[in-house]
Parts: sequence; C-alpha cells; structure tokens
Amino acid sequence: MQRRKFLSLSGLAVAAAALAPSANAEDFRKTKPTVWTAHTVDDAVSAMYGTTAMTESGVTVTMPDVAANGGAVPVNIKSDIAAKSVALFQNANPESAVAAFTIHDNSIINYDLKIKLKSDGTPITVTAVVEGKDGKLYSGVKTLTVALGGCEG
Amino acid sequence: MKIKAKMKGDIVNVKAMAKHDMTTYDQAAKKTGDRENANFITRITASVGGKLVYEVSTSQFLSKNPIFKFQFKGAASGDTIEMTWVDRKGNTVSDKAEIK
Repeated sequence: MQRRKFLSLSGLAVAAAALAPSANAEDFRKTKPTVWTAHTVDDAVSAMYGTTAMTESGVTVTMPDVAANGGAVPVNIKSDIAAKSVALFQNANPESAVAAFTIHDNSIINYDLKIKLKSDGTPITVTAVVEGKDGKLYSGVKTLTVALGGCEG
Repeated sequence: MKIKAKMKGDIVNVKAMAKHDMTTYDQAAKKTGDRENANFITRITASVGGKLVYEVSTSQFLSKNPIFKFQFKGAASGDTIEMTWVDRKGNTVSDKAEIK
C-alpha cells in the first residue's frame, strides 16, 4: 500500500513537472523584437504574424468613444475564437504595439488593460488581432478620440 | 503588486495592479534627455500550480501603475495564484494571492 501510494504520487509529480513550462509560453519582446519598434499598425502586424491579411470578425474591442484622459484609457478585448495569441495595436503613439497575449489552455479571452494614447485631436484607431488555432487572423477595431494626451506625461 | 482573485462559477476573475511608472521613450527623453532611460513592464505572467494562465508581453503604452484584469478556468477557490512582472531594466516583482 505504501509503495503504491508513493508510486502514484511520484507519477503525479512527474506529470506536473512536465506541464510546468507550458508548451506555447512565449516572450514576444524577445522572439519578435521588431514588433515593438514598428511605427504603423500594418508594420507591427506583419512583424508579429508575417501577414496583414485578416478578417474583421469575432473580436470585440470595447473602449469609450471619447476618452477623458489619454494617460489611462480603458480597453477590453473579448473573443470566443480558439486562439494562440492576441495582440493589441493603435495608431496614435510613436510605436504601434501595446500588448501581446499568449493564450493558454485555461485562458479566456476577456482582457482589460489601461493604455496611453497620444492625442492630437484626430480619431484614433485601436486594433486587436486574434491569431486563431486555424492559422487565420481575426481583428476587432475601435475608433475613438482622446481629450487629453497621455504621452507628454 | 496587488492581486484580487475571485471564483464566479467555474471562472476565476482576477484584478491585479502593478506599481510602476511605465516611463515611455518620449517621457524619458523629455525629463532626462536620454530616451534609453525609458523603463516599463515588458512581460507579466500569472500561474496556478505551476501552470501559466495569463501571459502578456507589454510595451511602454500601458498606463502608469497598470491594471490587468483577466479571467481563466481550471482553478478552485483556495488555490494560490502567483504573478510576476519584469521591466525593461530587469527588475522583477512576484506576488501571490489566494483565490477566493
């Protein structure tokens, strides 16, 4: 009995150890450094995924229509697509990329962040790109204006 | 780091706040004259029982003291969630919280 218990316990330990470094863990700042220096959404998306071909469906980006403070604009990204990764871009700041999420087995795509958006009074477009497990790209877009800029600090 | 994790049905709702200035290149250039003084969180992860449930690489465009809200499955109340961030200068902060 003792031995059996020991074996089953060690079996569990091995399984847990094998799971620990998740198969698709990725630090996008190290693996895709050019994403973070790209100045346009198109450049950043192609640096990230190698293409800019995407379907605008299945991804919801929720933000206020007019943000009062560009230093902290709330963003919510939601999607039910079975995905490998999700990335967020905007066209207001000097560089385009904001964040890139890796999707794990237990992840739910319902992310809230607060981001900085530089304002010059013109409408800003925020784009969320979801990389599906089917290899295709899906996007959600939100256009908004910001009353007070966030990058001047 | 402040972490709050709460079960709702079989989904864990997490709200975390990291204390960080999140200095952009422009802000660093303006204040110190050198854009290389920019410092911001570049990566933040959350795991339960050694398994990642949240992982994001981030840029300088998150707000100061950024808030991260997310959901995941596969955990129970009483489990411990562990979160870690690392910034551009290599500083790391980890914190734990019990899922309620």
